[in-house]
Amino acid sequence: MRRPDLRRLRRPERAEEKFLGPLEAEVMDRLWKRRSATVRDIVDDLARSRELAYTTVMTIMVRLHEKELLERTREGKTYLYRPALTRQELRERLSRDLARGLVADFGDAALAAFTAELGTVDASHRAALRRVAQKDNRGPR
Amino acid sequence: MARANRAFAVLLALAFASSAILLALLLTLVPRVEQLLTQGAADTTDLVAALILVLAICGISLGLAALFRQLLATAVLIRSLVARKVSVPSAVLSAAVGLDLDGRIDVVADDRPFSFCYWFVRPRVCLSTALVRRLDHDELRAVLLHERYHLRHRDPLRLVVARYFAAGLYVVPVVDELLGFYMLQKEIAADEEAVRVDGVASLASALYKLLPDADDVSLGLLVPVSSLSVTEARIDRLVAGRQIGLALSPVSVALSGGALLGAAVLIAIQGGASVAFEALPRLYAVPGLLLGPASLLFAAAIDGGLHQLRPLSQRLLARP
Repeated sequence: MRRPDLRRLRRPERAEEKFLGPLEAEVMDRLWKRRSATVRDIVDDLARSRELAYTTVMTIMVRLHEKELLERTREGKTYLYRPALTRQELRERLSRDLARGLVADFGDAALAAFTAELGTVDASHRAALRRVAQKDNRGPR
Repeated sequence: MARANRAFAVLLALAFASSAILLALLLTLVPRVEQLLTQGAADTTDLVAALILVLAICGISLGLAALFRQLLATAVLIRSLVARKVSVPSAVLSAAVGLDLDGRIDVVADDRPFSFCYWFVRPRVCLSTALVRRLDHDELRAVLLHERYHLRHRDPLRLVVARYFAAGLYVVPVVDELLGFYMLQKEIAADEEAVRVDGVASLASALYKLLPDADDVSLGLLVPVSSLSVTEARIDRLVAGRQIGLALSPVSVALSGGALLGAAVLIAIQGGASVAFEALPRLYAVPGLLLGPASLLFAAAIDGGLHQLRPLSQRLLARP
């Protein structure tokens, strides 16, 4: 079994900032594939795998626009969205932000945190945690 | 649950014992400061004394710097959070019923889901709006129970003290390792408290929901690391009840032991000023009782100093 490197744990350098939610990531993914799209395009695109309300997708795309991940231009009555960054650029920006993320912000502050360390969790731990989270009578929500 | 307390107690005991030995050494050397300043180092004993005084000054400065940095960072953080404070949502109030946390919870507007316990004398719990939005009643309660443990044990205060000693006692690297162990154990103990009260499912579910999304993994953000993270160790404990024992690195133990032994010998010969030391043949006494012990101290100081500098340099490099 691996042991934690305690010296490394003390001052975590890799702060995971929760930057994109699952839906946001999915929308970005579609936009990278299509290069540009309206909200309706994305709703139709996503409808193949999941049913989402138009307003839900719109909210997400507006938020992505506010986060400066999407650019938009007016096309008649609607907006046409384009990714502001390539996937690679976003990846670089995120890793840069991660280094300056939550824990880095907190730096040396004396805090005992529930979530400050959340970050480097591999797939097997993730799956194990999910199993425990769903046992007892707490079903998946 | 006692493990975190024990880890902290051991850390403090070692820190006090080491501080006592090193202070005693410093005090035996202080009378020579004036002589050193006016006449410079005349022989080997003076040179060793001068170098040890430099080490001591480094230790004191490192400790104070750690203390100052922590207090400053905490103050800055709290100021920035207070500016974004919102009224406590009803979801939090209802989750906190019966937890004895009345008036000690702050909620701040932030897109990042986080929660922590802060402040020293009367600690408080801080939650972000993103965390509150994402968790349901039971999960919020589990997080509050976790933070309540930190609050009741004044973990922020313990942390400041432990980090102060770990920085100041850089010639005793075991203190630094004990700090890491304590940091891990306090999280596990806080988890156990939450599990004891409300069962494992709520806490596990909260933790799961707060992990960075699988999408982030596919973006290649989670660089695999070879060692277990605190979160992984906590999951191991939650899922399998696996407990991580204290495993000190033999190098640290050897360096720490050597440094303290060296310091003790130097005190015994009063840094080379004792009559007994003068009476011994210098050919044996100088390397055996002076240079030998002093080099043990210096070896530990170099190793400890490098460890202190590493996170600092990493932080500077991480800046844009």
